[in-house]
Amino acid sequence: MSVASDLALDIENLSAGYPNNVVLQDVSLQVKRGTLVAIIGPNGGGKSTLLKTAVGLLQPLSYTVLELLGQNPQTARRNIAYLPQQEEVDWTFPLTVLDVVLQGRLVRKGLWGRYNSQDFVLSREALDFFGLGEYERTQIEALSGGQRQRVFLARALVQEADLILLDEPATGLDAKAQHEMADLLAKLSKEGKTIVAATHDLNCLTECFDHVLALKGRVFAQGTPEEVLTEENMVELFARHFPKVGASGEVTLHEH
Amino acid sequence: MSIDLILEPFQYGFMVRAFVGTGLVAIVAAAVGTFVVLKGIAFMGDAIAHTSFTGIALALILGISVYVGALLFALLTALGVIFLTRVSKVNNDTALAILFTGVFALGIVLLAGTPGFSGDLNSLLLGSVMAIQTREILLMAALALLLAILFVVFFERFVLVSFDPVGAEAAGFPVVFVQSLLLTIVAATIVISIQAVGVVLVVALLITPAATAGLLTKRLKLLILLSSALGLFSSFCGLYVSYFFGAPPGATVVLVATLVFALALGVQKLRRV
Repeated sequence: MSVASDLALDIENLSAGYPNNVVLQDVSLQVKRGTLVAIIGPNGGGKSTLLKTAVGLLQPLSYTVLELLGQNPQTARRNIAYLPQQEEVDWTFPLTVLDVVLQGRLVRKGLWGRYNSQDFVLSREALDFFGLGEYERTQIEALSGGQRQRVFLARALVQEADLILLDEPATGLDAKAQHEMADLLAKLSKEGKTIVAATHDLNCLTECFDHVLALKGRVFAQGTPEEVLTEENMVELFARHFPKVGASGEVTLHEH
Repeated sequence: MSIDLILEPFQYGFMVRAFVGTGLVAIVAAAVGTFVVLKGIAFMGDAIAHTSFTGIALALILGISVYVGALLFALLTALGVIFLTRVSKVNNDTALAILFTGVFALGIVLLAGTPGFSGDLNSLLLGSVMAIQTREILLMAALALLLAILFVVFFERFVLVSFDPVGAEAAGFPVVFVQSLLLTIVAATIVISIQAVGVVLVVALLITPAATAGLLTKRLKLLILLSSALGLFSSFCGLYVSYFFGAPPGATVVLVATLVFALALGVQKLRRV
């Protein structure tokens, strides 16, 4: 087996963002299959931009290598699941939990083909895997934030995605739900799935990851949690910008 | 009331054609309209109806098929709105309103100013279902059936792109194509419904039965079936009432649909008390 196909993510010298607003510069990241990766950094640091560029929702500005699962992003997409930020999904749409999980099969089918009995079997198995079997007929809107994330992970599972990207999965979850989330992600990575999660606050998710990438417009640090999550790094990474009002009323940003 | 009196409207060919034509478009419009209501794009439906009018006006003046003219303008509006919202990332209510009322006004001026066509103005604005010909009914029925088939075949996909377009696109699903297809179906549905209730009221055929059904159930497929049934019921009752009272048929249909909505709203409030 070639080295390249062992990598779920192979990114070199990637610049991303918008033509008039470069958000990320010169990012390189190699991730082996089955790894749990956390992307951390302040808001505007480029976490979402990196995920969106990787899955083709944003066009990269420049790069030397951009491969997912050993393929170019376009070909790899069918095997990639992307869990958007909460507000990008229309939770009020009247769908049951099972309807949502089944969508994982629909994404694989593309434009044609109807659900078959196998699709239902796989979807129910995935729901059981995430402990949601009893919610099959519940409206997605009625679930808690943590349960909704689990439904989307179940959908990723029936999509047979090998690479699962999560944009801010911890948003709105309490500490207990975050721990459950971390356990589930670990469980998925044991199944050989590669997990990449972007998160703006340091939470219990971060500690149990294999690899941490800290972004602040470029790669600030990366390595094991022990290497990256040092106090010194964190103070510098998350140093806030405070607005400061000048004598004549002008507002300037002052970095602490 | 004798049975003869009850059946009286069905003795007339024009009434039978009106029942069939309005009933067909009402069913399709109410089904497709559920997406319009769930995604909150009623305003765009109204914009499509108004620009379609100008397409029809131009087609009449040029002597080509009104469906071609209407559909062309309807599609341009729908796709223009997609483009506007995707590119500028703002829901540009004001720009859309200026554009569609401007185009609508142009259609009125053109049609009213062309000798021999000013009579069509009223029937386009308020519907002319009693004047519908058998040939037109067949065309309407064929289009309604085609739209219904497309709607059913792509239903799960329409749901996917309405619920989670970002996740679907990331997984390589043809989101833009499916969204465009859905909007095309909405636009075409509006076009075939104009003859029944007219430009001004057509959006009610899409949204009122769907909104009523939305008050009564959260199960999506049931919601769509219920919406279609309510659409059919409203069109049937509306035409029936309009026959006996000599009321404008399109407006009466919409009035019945609105009353049913009010009734459902009342029932829902009572159930909560």
